[in-house]
Parts: sequence; C-alpha cells; structure tokens
Amino acid sequence: MDYILSVLIFFPALAGLLGFLIDRKAVRSYVTTVATIEFILSLYLWIQFDNNQLGMQFMEQASLIPAFGIQYLLGVDGISLFIVVLSTFITLIGIISLPEDTKDLKEMLLTLLFLEMTMVGVFVTLDAILFYLFWELSLVPMLYIIGAWGGPKRVYASVKFFLYTFAGSLIMLVGMLVMAYLYFQATGVWSFSLLEWYRLQLPFDYQLWLFGAFFLGFAIKVPMFPFHTWLPYAHGQAPTVGSVILAAVLLKMGSYGFVRYSLPLYPDASVYFIVPIAILSIIMVIYTAMVAYAQKDIKQLVAYSSISHMGVVVLGTFALNPEGITGSIFLMISHGIVSGALFLLVGVIYDRRHTKMMDEFGGLASVMPRYALIFGIMMMASVGLPLTIGFVGEFLSLVGFYKVSHILTILAGTAVVVGAIYMLSAYKKAFFGTVTKDENKKLLDLNGREYATLVPLTLLVIFLGVYPKPVLEPVDNSVKAIVSLMHQKAITDEAKEVIPEINFNEEAR
Amino acid sequence: METLLYVALFAPLVGSLFAGIYGASPKTLLTGIVTSALIFTSFVASLLLFLHLYSGGERVHVEMMDWIMAGDLNVPFGFVVDQVSVTMMLVVTLVSTVVHIYSMGYMEKDKGFNRFFSYLSAFVFSMMVLVMSDNFLGLFIGWEGVGLCSWLLIGFWYHKESATWAANEAFIMNRIADLGMLIGIFLIYWNIGSLQYDVVFANISNLDITIVTWIGIFLFIGAMGKSAQFPLHTWLADAMEGPTPVSALIHAATMVTAGVYLVIRANELFFLIPDVGYFIASLGAFVAMFAATMALVNRDIKRVIAYSTLSQLGYMFVAAGLGAYWIALFHLVTHAFFKALLFLGAGNVMHAMDDELNIMKMGGMRKVMLGTAVLMLIASVALAGIYPFAGFFSKDKILEVAFDGHHYILWGTLWITAGLTAFYSFRVVMLVFFGSERYKDFGFHPHEAHSYMLWAMAPLAVLAIVAGLFEHQFFDFVHMVLPHYEFSEHTHHMVGQLIIVTTAIAVTGIAIAVFSNMFREGLFSSAFRNNFLYKLFDNQYYIPKIYDEVFSKPYKELSEVFWKQIDMKIVDATVDGIANTLYATGEETRGMQSGNLSYMLRWMVAGLLVLLVSAVAYTYSDVLLTLLQGVAK
Repeated sequence: MDYILSVLIFFPALAGLLGFLIDRKAVRSYVTTVATIEFILSLYLWIQFDNNQLGMQFMEQASLIPAFGIQYLLGVDGISLFIVVLSTFITLIGIISLPEDTKDLKEMLLTLLFLEMTMVGVFVTLDAILFYLFWELSLVPMLYIIGAWGGPKRVYASVKFFLYTFAGSLIMLVGMLVMAYLYFQATGVWSFSLLEWYRLQLPFDYQLWLFGAFFLGFAIKVPMFPFHTWLPYAHGQAPTVGSVILAAVLLKMGSYGFVRYSLPLYPDASVYFIVPIAILSIIMVIYTAMVAYAQKDIKQLVAYSSISHMGVVVLGTFALNPEGITGSIFLMISHGIVSGALFLLVGVIYDRRHTKMMDEFGGLASVMPRYALIFGIMMMASVGLPLTIGFVGEFLSLVGFYKVSHILTILAGTAVVVGAIYMLSAYKKAFFGTVTKDENKKLLDLNGREYATLVPLTLLVIFLGVYPKPVLEPVDNSVKAIVSLMHQKAITDEAKEVIPEINFNEEAR
Repeated sequence: METLLYVALFAPLVGSLFAGIYGASPKTLLTGIVTSALIFTSFVASLLLFLHLYSGGERVHVEMMDWIMAGDLNVPFGFVVDQVSVTMMLVVTLVSTVVHIYSMGYMEKDKGFNRFFSYLSAFVFSMMVLVMSDNFLGLFIGWEGVGLCSWLLIGFWYHKESATWAANEAFIMNRIADLGMLIGIFLIYWNIGSLQYDVVFANISNLDITIVTWIGIFLFIGAMGKSAQFPLHTWLADAMEGPTPVSALIHAATMVTAGVYLVIRANELFFLIPDVGYFIASLGAFVAMFAATMALVNRDIKRVIAYSTLSQLGYMFVAAGLGAYWIALFHLVTHAFFKALLFLGAGNVMHAMDDELNIMKMGGMRKVMLGTAVLMLIASVALAGIYPFAGFFSKDKILEVAFDGHHYILWGTLWITAGLTAFYSFRVVMLVFFGSERYKDFGFHPHEAHSYMLWAMAPLAVLAIVAGLFEHQFFDFVHMVLPHYEFSEHTHHMVGQLIIVTTAIAVTGIAIAVFSNMFREGLFSSAFRNNFLYKLFDNQYYIPKIYDEVFSKPYKELSEVFWKQIDMKIVDATVDGIANTLYATGEETRGMQSGNLSYMLRWMVAGLLVLLVSAVAYTYSDVLLTLLQGVAK
C-alpha cells in the first residue's frame, strides 16, 4: 500500500460523495461501514509503521504548482500517526453514537465523512499550503454541524466559531507566505514543503515575527487564553457528536501545529517565548478550571475543563525536551479519548432528560449505576489518576516543564488539585445524594448503542493507562528527532542550553 | 518466591474484580466469602515471604513490565519485598482479612454489599502496590489508588450529603499534598535521572544538600496529606462518615500510615537532612497533643478514635523524624492492631445502637455486649500504653528517643499526651460500657454482634496484647534494612525512671477517667462546658470553620467572578466588541455604495482630495519632517 495516506484522506470523502446516491434508510449502515474500513486502514498504517525509523514514513510526493513550489506532500511520523488513528476512531465512535431520531440523519452522516477527510488531511500533509487548505476546510463541516443541528443559539455560536478561527488562520497564512519567500531568498526556489523549511536557519528577529503569526493561528484553535471564548459557545450549542469531534480532534490541530511548525521552524523564538506562553498556559489551567467550577451546565463544565487540560498540553510542548513534548502528545491523545467520552456521557443524559443543568439531576448513581460507573472512570481519567490514560501525559508534561522552571511548574501542577475540585463537585451534584426529581426516578441505564461507544473508550482509558508503551515509544522517537533538529538549528546560546542534545540509543538509529 | 509475590499482590485485585462483576446485583454472600478468602491468600503469601526473609533469605525483587518510558525517563512496574515492605504487607493483609470477615456481618443488611467488598479489596490492592513498589512513581500509583478507594468508601453511602462532602474533602485535600509529592518526584528525576529506590538512595548523598532538603520537604508534604498531619488534618475526622470497617482498615491501620511508611522507606534521604527531620518530629509532637485535646471532649465515639489515630500518627512521625525509623515502624505495627480493634469494637457498639454515635446516650452496655466490652478494653489499655500491652513497648520507645536526643520539649509534649491518651480512651470506655444505662431513656435496644464478628476480632486482640513482647525479634529483623538507633549511655541508665514516669501519667489519666465517671455522669459539668478551652477543643480549634471561610467560600465566589465578570464581560465582550465594531463600520459605510450618482461623485471628490494631500505630503515629506521637528523644539 504505497498510497495509503492518500487513501486515508480521500476514501471517506469519495465514499461521502457516493453516499448522496444511497437510500436514506441504508445510509447509516453504509457510512458506518465506510468509517469502520477507514479505521481499520488507519490501524493497518500503525501496524506497518516502523517504530525505529525516526523520520517521515509512507511519504507521497507530487508537484501541484511547481512555479511556487506547492506540492502534494504527505507523510507520517510517530507524532501524527496516533492523532490520525484517534481521528478515524473518534469519527467511527461519533457515527455509532448518533441516535436514530436525529433529524436529517443522512446529511449528518455524510458531513461527518467530509469532516474526517479534512482531519486526516491536516495531520498527514507536509506541505504548508495543503495543510492550510485542510485546516480551513475542516471549519466548513463543523460550521454546518453546529449551525444546522445545534441548540437555540446555534447560528451565533457557529458563526463565532468560524470567524474567530478563520481570522487566526489568515494570519498564519501570511506567515506561511513569508516563510516561502524567505526560503526563496535563501535558495532561489520557492517551496512550501515543511521538510525543506526545516533546513532553513532564520535570523532571530524574523523568527520572532513568524512565530507570532503562526502562534495566533494555533492559539485560537487550541484555544489558549484569552482566545478561548468561542469554545464554550460552540460546545454549548453543538450536538453531541459535534462536541465529541471538536474536543477530541479539532482542538488538537492547534497543539499539533505547535509541535509540527512552531518548534522546529523557530527554535530560538520558541525558547524566547517560553515564559509568556507558560504564563498563558497556567492561566488556562487555573482560571478556566475555576470557571468550570462555577458552571451549572454540565456540558459547559466539560468544555471549560478541555481548555484547562489543553493548558497542560501547551505547557508540555514548550518544555522543549523529549519528556515534556512526548507527554504533551500523549496528553493530546488521552484528552481526545477522555473528553470525547465525557461529551458522549453528557449526551446520554441529555437525550433522556433534555437538560444539561446539574441541579436537575442528583442521585443518578442509584438509578443509572452503570452510567455512573463509566462516568466515574472517565472523571478519574480526567483528574489524572495513575493507571488511567490521563496520568501518563499529565505527569510527563509537568516533569518535562519542571526542567525549565520550578515555580511555574508548581503553579501549573495545581491542575491536579483544581481539576479534582470541579470534577468531584460536579459528580457529587449529578450522581450522589437522593433522587429528588420525579423525572429522574425512572431513567433507563445505558442502552446497546451507548455501550458500543463507551465501552471501547473505557477499555482504552485503562489499557493505555497501564501500558502506554505502544504509543509512547513511536511518539518518543519522533519527538527526539524534532528536539535534536531544534538543538542543531538553534542559534542563540540560550536556546542551545534549554533544548537538550539527544543521544539516540542504538536501536533507534 | 516471585510467584508468592505476585499472589500476595494480585489476589486482592482478583477479589475486587470478582465482587465488581456483581456490583449492581443484589447482595450475594459469595462476594464477601471470595474476597475474604483471596485476601487471606494474600496474607498467607505474605507470611511465607516473611518466613523466607526471616530465615535469612534474599529480598525478592521483580520487574514485571515497562510502564512509562519517554525521554530519559524509564519507570517499570517493579516490586520489591524486603524487611520493611514485608512488615507492611503482613500488617495490611492481616488487618484486611479481619476487616473483610467482620464486614460480612457489619454490612449484611446493606444493599451495596457487593460493591462494598469490591472497593475494600481494591483498596487492599492499592495499598499493596504502595508498599511493594520499587520506585517512587509506583508508590505514587498506590498512593493515588488508596486515595481513590478512600473516596469511594467514605462516600459509600452516597445518598448522604455529609458522606459525599467528606469524601470530596478527603480527596481534594490529599491532592494538594500529592502535588507536593509530585514535585518531590520531579526533583529526584532531574537530579538523579531515575526513580528507582536503589538508584536514588545510592546517589542521594552525592547531591547538593539544598536539593536533598527540598526533596525531603516536598516528599514530606505528600506524607502530611495521607497521614493527615496539621494543617491537612481536617479530612480524617470527617472521613468517619464512611462505614466503620472502612475507618478501621483505611483511616486507622493502613492508609493513614502511608506517610510514615514513606519517611521510613526514604530513610537514607531523610538521614541526610536532620533539620527537616527535626521539623517532622516537632510537627508530629504538636499534632499528637493537638489531636489528643480534641479527643478529650468529643462526644462522637468514632471521632474520638479518629483524633486518637491522628495523635498516634504524630508519635510515629516523632520517631521517624528523629531517625529512629525502626521504632516508628514498630509503633505503626502495634498501633494498627489495637486501633483497628478499637474501631471494630466501636462498629459493634454503633450497630447495637442503630448507628447512634453519641457516647452520652450510651452507658452500661457491658451488660448486653460483654465480648465487645472486653475487646475494646484490651484495645484501650494497649492504646494507653500499659505494660505488657503492645502500645506500652512502642510508645515508650518513642519517648525514650525524644529524651535521648535531648529534645526535652518534645518529650514533655509526648509525656503529657500519653496522659491525655489514657484519659480519653477510658472516658469512652467508661461512658459506653459502664455507669447507668442511659440508652434506655432514648429507646435503644442494644444487642451483641454476631459471634463470628467477635472471633474475627480475636486475632487483633491477641496481637494488641502480645505484639510488644516481640520487640527484639522485630528489631533484629528490620535492622537489616533500617539504620540502627543507638541510645546513649545516659538514656540507658534512665530507662527505668522514664518508664515509671510515663506509666504514672498514663495510670493517672485512666484513674481520672474512671473515678470522675463513677462519681458523676459525663466528666464535664455544664460550667466546664462554657470554659474557653472546652469550646476551643469542641470546635476543633475552629479550623474547619476557618478553612471554609478562608478557602472554600472565596474559591467559589472567585470562580463566579471569573466566569460572569471576567470571562463573559471582559474577555468575551472584547471579542464581540471587535466583531461588532467591524460590523457597525460596514453598516455605516454601506451608504457609500448606494449607487446614487451625485452621492458617489461627492465621495469621488473626497477621495481625490485625500490622494492629492497624501501625494503632496509624500513628495515634501522631508520638508514636513524638518518643520515638524522645528515645531516640536
């Protein structure tokens, strides 16, 4: 399978186009099959992936616009591999989770397939223009999902989501054009190939400006404080499946961008901005956790908790050492699984009660014990309990950043406390106590469809918490490659000192 | 030997999963029997491991599989059974077996019977991970695992608001301390490059002493949370909301001693930093007395015992802080026996009294529950430290250590506390089992517990009596891994006098409790109850109230402000403001494009003017600049 990456990108989209011809009644099984095949393909990619190879694998290359050096350039390494698998997995879970009574089910299903194309595309392209293309394209299906299937304020929320992230990425586009121009100045040919950009050593002040341009694009997507306010609206209004994919995958585009673009392209600027970015991350961790604590709507709470966790992800990335970056990538994956599951769980109760207000619940543990159990496991994973998936990434991110700063890590480490505060008090409100509302007395526990989505996620949360090695190892190898590239490229003394030199072990060579 | 290790470690997990399968089903006695049998298996395996080590065998060390590997960090699931961990394993599995069997009776009418055993066994598994791990992060797994189980079990009766509140309080307060522990782990990693005990302790003496000090401080912060030392102590008394067997196992015998275990385990580290050790000892002595004073006046039988636990943990920290690690471990062991016994006895009393906790409503109950009365009396005598009961040996050793280091203030504090301990233990015994039968006024009909529950408690009673006699064997066993504590000649000569002085104050305490209760119901007259000190003790020094006012409420209010004022009104409003400005500008300037010819001509003229002016300005920009500079001057 030489073209597996192309297949992974375009198979869902082509199948989606074909899907318009399928009968309304049959479309669900059709789309589920497509998503399953796509997921199996991504697993095949993982199996074929060579852990010991440091660089890009499954590369594909074709010239698109030679005059400007725009190529069709694809490839995966350990960093993107698992985010791709996560994307196909979460899409499949999202498709299964759709309730039978969703209005315009066919359109929703096909939209999800197009969304899947853009997600896989973003993570496997190594050409900046192509990356930008998929990046922006991903907004469209999501705009559609929120705008068409959302809550009462769906139009406001979807337009805000679209315009805000769009504005950020436009600035990123300007940065890309400047990068290509600088490359042209240095070599005499135009190129948007990321791999070629990697070889460019830029003067410090250029790095600062370009870092800033990319930063805005990524920071709004993550979303970092103070660019985060679109997220609670988007989650608040989006249907369950929209929230699941938004939290699990779309936010990761931003943090992935940091690792793929900002760090290796601008190592000195990355070092220069460590402290301001760390401060923003700490604000994200503490401030949004407190805002989450004040929420009365459980979905908003999970939305704000996402921001809080992404704070730790960004912090780990800017530790600029293998421990921290590997941790932040693992945390992206674990946050994808856990927050996806939490949004599904919120969806479960919303489908039954048509409310997300925690005051409306109470005592659910006695009516829906299995639901309470899975919610409890996911909550503990979110809080970062060891032997769940949430601990590994959080621990590594913080351990990595500790090398950079003691005080800032202690502040960011309060994540383990503030996270517990809002999660446990929410759980107490919804699940403990006595059942006070009559509507809650006869609630049904999880049904077959809900089991089918939640059980795999729960098993993953525990399996990867106990044995994270299958994921950590490839990620760590690719991260080491990036860190060593950064160390070589760094021009300032400070950056040389902060970014460690990597001694690859024998196997990895 | 490795098989034994795995059996000891995983048998409780199997039990927990087995009971968990039946978690939501109606009560099946099977879950209780299977989990108890598996915990007993674990006990037997631990015992065999103990015999192996006792007969001079090598320590057992296994690396099961990799866990976290990233960068240079490499943490496996590794387990070690040496003299210290096997001691902990024996205590944990023995008390757990007793508590499991006891709970079959205690929880017999509870509809969460299966769930209870699942949690209880999960706790035992976590505790075994904690004590058996061969590295700091593995210890942290167990550390958080027992925290989770403690949360589940304190909040076991989740329909009760007070129970779930207490569960959350315990979890969150422990998390604060855990952050300290994590920082300690980070420091170890970046300075030594490994988290394995062997590597860390082999290299710790090469580190700069400031760093070792910081590591010690942060690890001890972690220990303060689990062992409920001041100022993180309030959760322990509130944790009494859980079922009583839980209090016996988790909040008396095992989990709360994890902090002491950590200090003992890291003795090679704390040995290098005697100043931190002295701080630990001082805090321990302070907590010993502080908690004992609260125990003096409390009327809730479980809370009295909880404060007593707190106080005894203080004793252990004094020994550990002063470098007498084996004595700390010894007191940990004896305390586990008599305190678990005391709690289980209290459980019988509660059961007899339909979950009534107020000792003022009891009295004279020895007539209906003689077995429990005898068991609790044994435990109380051991707690008070009367020869030849277990508490006498271990507590007295701690006093000797304090005296030996010339820490007379610590010694004095502990000495007075010994008197208070004897007093409050016997105050409870007198008020519950002797005197007039006040319960009749409140319409209770107490009855003795199942006989098998009493028999289950019997091993603990025997150990509470005789465990102290094995002091020398215990010392010979653990000193292979723990440093020897040398008493000076001076102390050797004084031992006799010290024992007499200590025993005297304990006996005095008992005597006051006994006589005051014989002559007067309750001890404290109403005049006394208005006393300042009484109020202070009774309100737990107002600390829970202060925490509520200083931390909980402001945190909640600040959260509201952050959300409603800052996030919505400032951050989001700015974003919308920018968008609205753009939108409004468009709306305003839309008029330009009306298509009306005369209107558009006017705009054209305006545009031309602007262009002309800028062209002129650009051409004469040098002149203009000089002019402007001239003006500026």
